Amino acid sequence: MPESLQPVSPDLPAGVSGIGAAPGREALRMFVRNKAAIFGVFLLTSMLILSFIVPLFFDRDPGARVGGPHVSPGSEGGGLMGTDNLGRDIWTIVIYGGAATLKIAAGASAMIIFVGLSLGALAGYYGGWVDSLLMRITEFFQVLPGLLFAIVVVALFEPSYWTITFAIGSISWPQLMRLTRAEFLRIKNLEYVKAARAIGASDLRIITRVILPNALPTLIVSATLIMGAAIVIEAGLAFLGLGDPGSLSWGFAIGRAREFFTTNWWAVTFPGMAIFLTVLGLSLVGDGLQDAYNPKLRGR
Amino acid sequence: MKRMQSLQKLLALLLAFALLAAACGGSDDDDGVAAGGDDTDQADEAPADGAEDEAPADDAEDEAPADDAEDEAPADDEAMTDEDERAGGTLTFAFVSALRHLNGTVQSGYATAVPGTQVNASPLLFDENYQPQPYLAESWDVSDDGLTVTLNLRDNALFHDGVPITSEDVAFSILTSQANHPFKAMFAPVVSVDSSDPLVAVISLSEPHPAILMAMSPGLLPIIPKHIFDDGQDMKEHPRNSGDDFIGSGPFRVVEYDPSEVIRLEKFDDFFLEGYPLLDEIIIDIVPDPNTAILGLENGDYDMITSPNAAATQQFEEDDRFVVEAKGHEAIGQIDWLFLNTRSDVLSTVEARQAISLAIDQQGWRDIVQLGRSSANVTGIQNASPFYNADATNYDRLAPDEATALLESVGLGDGFELDMPATAAMLPTAEFIQQDLSAIGVTVNIRQVPDFPTWAAAVAGGTYDITYTQVWNWGDPVIGVHRSYDCENRIEPPGVIWSNNAWYCNEEVDALLDTAAATFDNDARQAAYFEASELINQDAPIVYLGKPDWYQIRKPRVQNPPTGIWGFMSPWHEVWLDGE
Amino acid sequence: MARIAQALGLILAVIVLNFTLIHVAPGDAADVIAGDQSASSPEELAEIRARYGLDDPFVVQLGNYVGDVVQGDLGESIWDGQSVTSLIFDRLGATALLAFSALAFAFVVGVSIGTIAARKPTSLLSQLITVLALVGFAMPAFWSGLLLLIFVAVKVDFFPVSGNHDLGFEGNWFESLLDLGQHLILPALTLGFIFLAQYSRLSRASMLEVLESDYVRTARAKGLSERSVVFKHGLRNGLIPVVTILGLQFGTALSGAILVETVFAWPGIGRLAFDALLRRDAPVLLGVLLLASVVVIVANLLTDLTYRLIDPRIRVTGGVNA
Repeated sequence: MPESLQPVSPDLPAGVSGIGAAPGREALRMFVRNKAAIFGVFLLTSMLILSFIVPLFFDRDPGARVGGPHVSPGSEGGGLMGTDNLGRDIWTIVIYGGAATLKIAAGASAMIIFVGLSLGALAGYYGGWVDSLLMRITEFFQVLPGLLFAIVVVALFEPSYWTITFAIGSISWPQLMRLTRAEFLRIKNLEYVKAARAIGASDLRIITRVILPNALPTLIVSATLIMGAAIVIEAGLAFLGLGDPGSLSWGFAIGRAREFFTTNWWAVTFPGMAIFLTVLGLSLVGDGLQDAYNPKLRGR
Repeated sequence: MKRMQSLQKLLALLLAFALLAAACGGSDDDDGVAAGGDDTDQADEAPADGAEDEAPADDAEDEAPADDAEDEAPADDEAMTDEDERAGGTLTFAFVSALRHLNGTVQSGYATAVPGTQVNASPLLFDENYQPQPYLAESWDVSDDGLTVTLNLRDNALFHDGVPITSEDVAFSILTSQANHPFKAMFAPVVSVDSSDPLVAVISLSEPHPAILMAMSPGLLPIIPKHIFDDGQDMKEHPRNSGDDFIGSGPFRVVEYDPSEVIRLEKFDDFFLEGYPLLDEIIIDIVPDPNTAILGLENGDYDMITSPNAAATQQFEEDDRFVVEAKGHEAIGQIDWLFLNTRSDVLSTVEARQAISLAIDQQGWRDIVQLGRSSANVTGIQNASPFYNADATNYDRLAPDEATALLESVGLGDGFELDMPATAAMLPTAEFIQQDLSAIGVTVNIRQVPDFPTWAAAVAGGTYDITYTQVWNWGDPVIGVHRSYDCENRIEPPGVIWSNNAWYCNEEVDALLDTAAATFDNDARQAAYFEASELINQDAPIVYLGKPDWYQIRKPRVQNPPTGIWGFMSPWHEVWLDGE
Repeated sequence: MARIAQALGLILAVIVLNFTLIHVAPGDAADVIAGDQSASSPEELAEIRARYGLDDPFVVQLGNYVGDVVQGDLGESIWDGQSVTSLIFDRLGATALLAFSALAFAFVVGVSIGTIAARKPTSLLSQLITVLALVGFAMPAFWSGLLLLIFVAVKVDFFPVSGNHDLGFEGNWFESLLDLGQHLILPALTLGFIFLAQYSRLSRASMLEVLESDYVRTARAKGLSERSVVFKHGLRNGLIPVVTILGLQFGTALSGAILVETVFAWPGIGRLAFDALLRRDAPVLLGVLLLASVVVIVANLLTDLTYRLIDPRIRVTGGVNA
């Protein structure tokens, strides 16, 4: 069936899933040997430290006007990354923007994972009419033109933490649902699952204790990508003026600076750099996990 | 344009097939990306050098039209030679506004007026001293009692379809405006317009109406063809309001009309001012956002733009290739201000409002947000107007301590919250005042709305505490100023944007405004407006942030640029191009 | 086919959902028009609403709309009265061109990179390629677009800074084509970068499998040249998964194009929809949403069909583990 074989993430090739997933330690060793993955961990950790630890030591107000407007980085009164249109320090904005950005991404990801996982599990495990019904619903959401739909939702209902999270979530969960479903379909016919059923374990138990852990590697890989995508989508929304003004996320900082970018490139570039590095880190880590768990892709 | 669209569709189809073929075929890669070839020199697209003149302009004499000729608009020089070497050329203009159609009798606003004044003529033009000049009307007269205004039209004026322009068209236009135009104050006192003489329009008023002459400015009273429009259809939605086939009375005619892309105008050969217009063609490029205008100008794609923001102005001032001028649009009298909703809980207390004004650093706002390109304006009347009371009581000074004291005196010492809806464009100001007000314990909650209608609905409906906007004087205070203060202009929700959104009412002020509206005596008007401003300011329903300088940025080759009091909202018939 | 019926049902559901959303949200087109007038009375507001049927009950409005759509009438823009269909089709070519170019770029470069990496999976080159490809995925499209604008288009004369053609351009067909292409480069690159990651990784993984498969080993054993093996036999099968998502990506590309269109002022339907949204111009917005959904549905259908066609072939050869 085409559906289950559809690649559902950039890193998951058709039909290749976690068959014969390597045991944890072996995978870890694989991961550690992967230079790109280690680089990813480094990036990610740096951004996390920047976003959550550094603000604890700083006592700055990202909204404060510290200097003249549009002062370029390095020049007098400009600080490390220059100032924006109201004279606020970009470096401070970058530091404080991380937490806000990651909170939104986490919220959206949580929604995606919760909805996608449960629906996918149900569809994959029970099959039959449950599967058909859920697939129809999923298809419906998949057909909605992604970003455009998110834009419509946020614009119509005014940007706020919840509308943004909901919008991002609603366009992204179908992929995870299908992936989960595919995994469940594959795993449920394996020997140990049949065994569990033979013993009389309840459905819920089988789903959560037996199948899910085996699907976990693939799902974790997806999770990193989902978070990365959520960050990028949020930035896109903010760029178009649909960011949450209370949140001061990186995307919001970019959106705010957009009007002046012909005079002031640093207000746009540095927050964007922060987004880029974070998402890159996430993707590299996810990629590394993917390779680590997948013997077929191990280097020869 | 159409060619571009077909090209695109063709290419897209080709690419699609190519992709499909790649899938089935396997080894061939084809991509349809048409690599750009030669470097088309973008510096000038205007083919012309204006060498040969088309418009013969031999009888150069009847340019400076007879009678009331003060000096005609800007330095209209000596170069009225017989062979007009200035003639010819294409002017390209980047236009960041979204317009709905070209009929200014039923629609207000900059978006309609800029192209509208090129294709439609008004009875009068206005010079730098706000004095009326002949245009479609060769001469005019206001009776001593102020109840009759007579316009004498030119006898050689034609619409773009060759039909002569008569007083019937003038009558039709005035009455259409009276019935449909949002600015009711312009022609409200008109009782009738007599058009028995085809070249004379006699307007009868119910009371003296000093604003009536100003109301005949290019953007406010375009003369539209009765024979096209008078067919019983609703003027606001009339199909002839726009389109390639738009028939107007102005110096340029519509060649191509695509309101989301471009409007192309070409010179109307039978324009009533012989020898004009000087330009052959105007291309108005409708541009989706200001950055495109800025980049395009930098790239040489455009001849002129209005500066979208102070930072852009600064950027171009430092660029030798362009001329930046803070001239033009003075009549508009745009004031940047903050509406305070006097109906809301806290803001119904005058001390609270005064405190807010004292806590906000207006000068700082002008320096930082407008990069200094804005002047102090302490009343609702713009500071270039003879009716501007510079000495009116105001709370524009920065005095946060005084503000705190005021708040404490009315029991608001603990601070309070204000709801502030703001679109993305308003955000810098919102954030600025948010900081300033937090210093006196006032928390501004910025509610960012993504689009104009949501914002307008909130403000018009009174569901806001404080908000930032720009309000225009529109020449005479009667047209653009009274609406913000008239007790009668407080409109119940859903309300109307840019009416009396502060919900202000002071009977004394109303009386003064009414007085000023009904007399031609400028001294009396000034006295009335001065006193009204004083009273209003004491009540402080509005925080005036400043009056922005309005910049034009253009290539040096643009001569006689439209820098009059109406700026771009005035015909560009005297604009010419000197070289590339 | 049942699939077609399903597809129609989906389309209907999309219409209803979007219509409801727009209707439920605060504000409507009358506010926009009134605001544009910069003054107008409540009577006029009411009149505007009546004129566009904005004060009819929801179900009536919905019914009218669906009825119209079924007859092929997408209505008229509330903002300026133009026919929605013509508005959309005028701009559709631009977006389609942009999307196709981006995908073509990503496809070609991605597959090439992936194939190279598949031949030498552990080399530094391969790893570097991996990282570089992910860079494209990690960069928000508008950011890379802005960077390209600021640091390339503005500085280098060759690249135009906006739009899809030079203003006042006079020239023959060929010159117009070149002009178009010149304007297309940066936007297409920006959009294509996003998909580059996907295609390169996908094809790498897929090609890896294929090149190790029995089928290919046999071909090698037969003595066929390496080139022939890789290109003719390897690619053909290895590309299947890539093509599969290609069809589905079009919907994403269409959607992602809105950011690129904004940055480069590319006159496509993404921008049209966004402007319509900000003006509460429901007919235009609904028209675009509808079109985008239809495109995705059709692409899905086609992909399914193509897959079914290719499918038996795979089974027969039994080679690729696809």
